[in-house]
Amino acid sequence: MKRAVCLAILVWVSVAGLAGQEPGTKVPSVTFAPVGKVQVKPGGSATVQLDFRVGSEFHINSNQPKSELLIPTVLKLSSSGPVNVASLKYPAGQDVSFPFAPGEKLSVYSGDFTVTAVVKASAKATSGEYPFNGELRFQACDRSACYPPRAIPVKFEVSVVGR
Amino acid sequence: MKRNGIVFVILCFAILAMVASGKYLNRTRQHGASSTLVGDVRGRTAPEFELASLDGKRVKLSDFRGKAVLLNFWATWCSPCKVEMPWFVDLQKKYGNDGLVVLGVAMDDTETSKIAEFASEMGVNYPVLLGTDKIAEDYGNVEFLPTSFYIDREGKIVGKGTGLLGREDIEQNVQRALASRAVGMNQASRATAPDVAKQQPRAQ
Repeated sequence: MKRAVCLAILVWVSVAGLAGQEPGTKVPSVTFAPVGKVQVKPGGSATVQLDFRVGSEFHINSNQPKSELLIPTVLKLSSSGPVNVASLKYPAGQDVSFPFAPGEKLSVYSGDFTVTAVVKASAKATSGEYPFNGELRFQACDRSACYPPRAIPVKFEVSVVGR
Repeated sequence: MKRNGIVFVILCFAILAMVASGKYLNRTRQHGASSTLVGDVRGRTAPEFELASLDGKRVKLSDFRGKAVLLNFWATWCSPCKVEMPWFVDLQKKYGNDGLVVLGVAMDDTETSKIAEFASEMGVNYPVLLGTDKIAEDYGNVEFLPTSFYIDREGKIVGKGTGLLGREDIEQNVQRALASRAVGMNQASRATAPDVAKQQPRAQ
């Protein structure tokens, strides 16, 4: 009996908690997953997968939103000594209609998405660790409200080996 | 068996406490400790402001004393905000002669000309003001858009809407703001508070 009562309380608490998560009342989160070891030889290049996750219930504009008024998701990375970012490739956005504009499709990222960076070491690069620092700028919305543009830090390290 | 029951109850209370504290932290994140307008804002005096309009004039809230004001925070990058704007245009036409003034506060960090172009394309027939961090802070750290405040003729807030609401909800709040002269602010607040809460699931 007691167990049943407690179980009922537990269910009630869970339901109450979920009910409180109304759109427009949560802070959107975009997280960056740690990057594994990246190695590159002098004069060579390596591909770095940068994995991001958009919090549930939210979406952010893709890198190529369908209107110039919308703020695109942009990754900015600085060079690290003799290692440079040669290119960045963003995934295509998902074309989605939302209740606030059923007749319009927006190009967005939601859930997990990956930006692919190609880093290139100069031929004269010496062995060592080269940290990359940058940020992902994005602007998030849920199904009825939008949030100001934000940025999260993006960090990874590239090891130059073989010299 | 009895011990297990006690442990279970404690566990339930712990979860309850976590949920409650999570909600508290969420509210704190939204509104910030330094904000002047936190909690239930109905019946509170709307903070005075002075902002530049798109045509460079200085506009104060007190300029509209005696009028009902729909103060709408929006941005050009906010798709849900675009949905509301034609409704505001209609409401301004419908209730303008009754004393409604819609004021749009653009929270963009972009050139004024782009905001003006956007407002023109949307057929906006009401003043658009250039938002500042201060007005956002004064109005409870307005962060998510759209957010609207409904201010009666005496400068008291009678409603707040966060996120995209239905047109009917917005119009009812407008009518509430306009009604304040006829019945007096205190009576209006008491008479409509439950309705406001019902109409605005996210009203604060």
